Amino acid sequence: MIKARSFKGGIHPPGNKDLSSKQPITRLPAPETIWVPLCQHMGAPSRPSVSKGDKVTRGQEIGAQNGFISLPTHSPVNGTVKSIEDFPMPHRRTGPCVVIETESEDGGQVFPKWDDYSNHSPAEITERIKLAGVCGMGGASFPTYVKLTPPPDKNIDTLIINGIECEPYLTADHRLMLENPDDIILGMEILAYTLGVKRCLIGIEINKPDAINLMDEKGCCVLPLKVSYPQGAEKQLIDAATGREVPAGGLPLDVGVVVQNVGTAAAVAKAVRDGEPSLRRIITVTGRGVVSPDNYDACVGTLFSDLIGKSGGYTEDVKRLISGGPMMGISLYTDGVPVTKGTSGLLVLTGDEVRDVVESPCIRCGKCVDVCPLRLTPNLIALAAENERWKLAGDFGALNCMACGTCSYVCPAGRYLVHYIKKAQDAIRAGKEA
Amino acid sequence: MAPTRRFELAMSPHVGASQTTRKIMFDVVIALLPALAAATWFFGPRALLIVFLSAATAVTAEYLCLKFMKRPVSFALDGSAIVTGMLLAYNLPSGVPLWLPVIGTAFAIVVGKQAFGGLGHNIVNPALLGRAFLMASFPILMTAGWAAPEAWSSSTDNSWGTSGIVQEEMSTIPMADAISGATPLNVLKQTFDLDASAENARNEGNIAEAESLEERADGIRTVLSSNSTYMNLLIGRSGGCLGETSVILLLVGAIYLVMRGVLELRLPISYLGTVAVLAWVFGGSGWFDGDPLFHVLAGGVILGGIFMVSDMVTTPVTPKGRIIFGIGAGLLTMVIRRWGGYPEGCSYSILLMNLVTPLIDKLTLPKVFGEVKKNG
Repeated sequence: MIKARSFKGGIHPPGNKDLSSKQPITRLPAPETIWVPLCQHMGAPSRPSVSKGDKVTRGQEIGAQNGFISLPTHSPVNGTVKSIEDFPMPHRRTGPCVVIETESEDGGQVFPKWDDYSNHSPAEITERIKLAGVCGMGGASFPTYVKLTPPPDKNIDTLIINGIECEPYLTADHRLMLENPDDIILGMEILAYTLGVKRCLIGIEINKPDAINLMDEKGCCVLPLKVSYPQGAEKQLIDAATGREVPAGGLPLDVGVVVQNVGTAAAVAKAVRDGEPSLRRIITVTGRGVVSPDNYDACVGTLFSDLIGKSGGYTEDVKRLISGGPMMGISLYTDGVPVTKGTSGLLVLTGDEVRDVVESPCIRCGKCVDVCPLRLTPNLIALAAENERWKLAGDFGALNCMACGTCSYVCPAGRYLVHYIKKAQDAIRAGKEA
Repeated sequence: MAPTRRFELAMSPHVGASQTTRKIMFDVVIALLPALAAATWFFGPRALLIVFLSAATAVTAEYLCLKFMKRPVSFALDGSAIVTGMLLAYNLPSGVPLWLPVIGTAFAIVVGKQAFGGLGHNIVNPALLGRAFLMASFPILMTAGWAAPEAWSSSTDNSWGTSGIVQEEMSTIPMADAISGATPLNVLKQTFDLDASAENARNEGNIAEAESLEERADGIRTVLSSNSTYMNLLIGRSGGCLGETSVILLLVGAIYLVMRGVLELRLPISYLGTVAVLAWVFGGSGWFDGDPLFHVLAGGVILGGIFMVSDMVTTPVTPKGRIIFGIGAGLLTMVIRRWGGYPEGCSYSILLMNLVTPLIDKLTLPKVFGEVKKNG
């Protein structure tokens, strides 16, 4: 096997993955009532195409695509629409949901099965992936079909499948690689065929040797990567895999690369081979604040409270509920929030696990500068932002920050660096200059 | 399960390293302790008393400032004031009157630190500013109080001069009794003076006197570069500021700091490396014949290199900036040692570099990821 590669900077937070990494994925039936969000993807929410009282069938489109960066939404169950209302969301305050009373989950065929994808043109496949509502399942939930339609002047030569899962605690991608490698590999082939690329890699951190070996045995070109957060960030992964730096403010397309998460590859395989829209996802429920951490295959629209119930409920000292991982996840005030296509994990932390430091002044130790994977100076950006000097923050490169949280993690003064930098980004994007 | 609403909201990341400002500061205090033991051993309990007074004054002054400015007084116990107090004391001769560290530390905290906004906002290292204040205000006290290093030790061997140079060996040099040197660097400075006098004598045609002066200077240099001198400097058996002499115990502190992830090595290495190289280039009588080992072991560069060049608040945050800072401070140190009015240039060099730290940061901002197209 080739030597594990990495990028410059980064940190090594405790993985805590053994809480759930040995738990096989449990397939959960759809709960009695589900809240299917119409804004599961990045971009414009789908336009509801059903109304209260309508009967819906599994796989039926209940929200229509609404613009280029948007996707259709499908019903994961057969049932009756109870209402369409705003509901708390994992990634934003609230969003429109189609509330469905579940009757059954028996599957009719939604799209025709395509046994051999190579009988279909890349354009047909891209259309299928769009109609199936597939979006990135690693976290950002970018519509996958958009990534597959690069502008004609971009020459794409490499596809990287992201099996890094560098967020501590999360094990959904790891379990998927172990339990369903064939779908990932088929999805990878379909994506490579659609993009017309020859070079296709799957990046996995070396803390998952079983997944590396399995993918290697299956004949994949595995790229083992050192354990370092944020190795799974698109730009850092591309850097480690190809030595190419995505230009500041640019996209992977600009260096001829497309990156897709393993979960996305599996969803692509299901959409193309089985004609199955994106209705379910693998989600890790973990942390010491939950009784028995586990990995689930759950319908989108399942409430977090249902998942917690399946995991034995909360422990006594539960403190924080997080959608996603501990580094970039969003803390929620309630567990009455539905699973979306982009929800990779539900993390419940106790007071002992949460970092509890009172913020104090920057002592200019420079640790944030040493670890920033984008080579920014987070302390200086944060200082500028604190004083509302937005232009200065922009000059320090505030807009390049991807909010990976590496700087805040190491900061001995407990400064909310990510918060200040995001504040600067919002102000700069809103056109404030001071 | 029915939805519940009882969770704390917070910005990501939700986990973090265990290191805190307080832990860093107390790690520095711990790292300073071995050298304090050496100071007590060689200079007597007075050294310990000075350090204690200094640290206590620092905390008190910080507390009063915070109280006066209505800021949280808990900052007074974050350890940073103790570090400032200890470092200032380490930069004093052990024979100074006891009120000197008190007013020096009070000045350091009030003017050097709190006047600029407290922790993290001071422009120059407060301890060094306090020392500079004392040097300017009480120059005699600051340079006359050198105690002989064996004052408290059980050693009855009195053949060691205060400068840590074996008197016996010195006596082999013609007119050695004319050499008075409280610290090894004072002795070195005198060789430069002897060189200058020799050159004058030569220019005046007084060849015999010139040769005699040169012989003395060379003799002293031979002793300075002897193994016994090195050994004394290493263990701290030499004259000097109370906390700077024991190189080996300061290095023990440095190793502790590196292990705790507190000491960033770019600064001390670039600083001490520059001192060593320039010592060889112009630290001797002519060009390229200096003794780097003597220059690194003698005086305050080890203390300065580990605890003051690498002071986080007053040095650059960028990786390149740190190397530039270290090189700049090393250069200034050696220029002052060789041509300046003081035998030691460590503290002034660091103070001067502290002033240009913001500029260094500004000029060495790292290139943001993707700003230079590698495959463009």
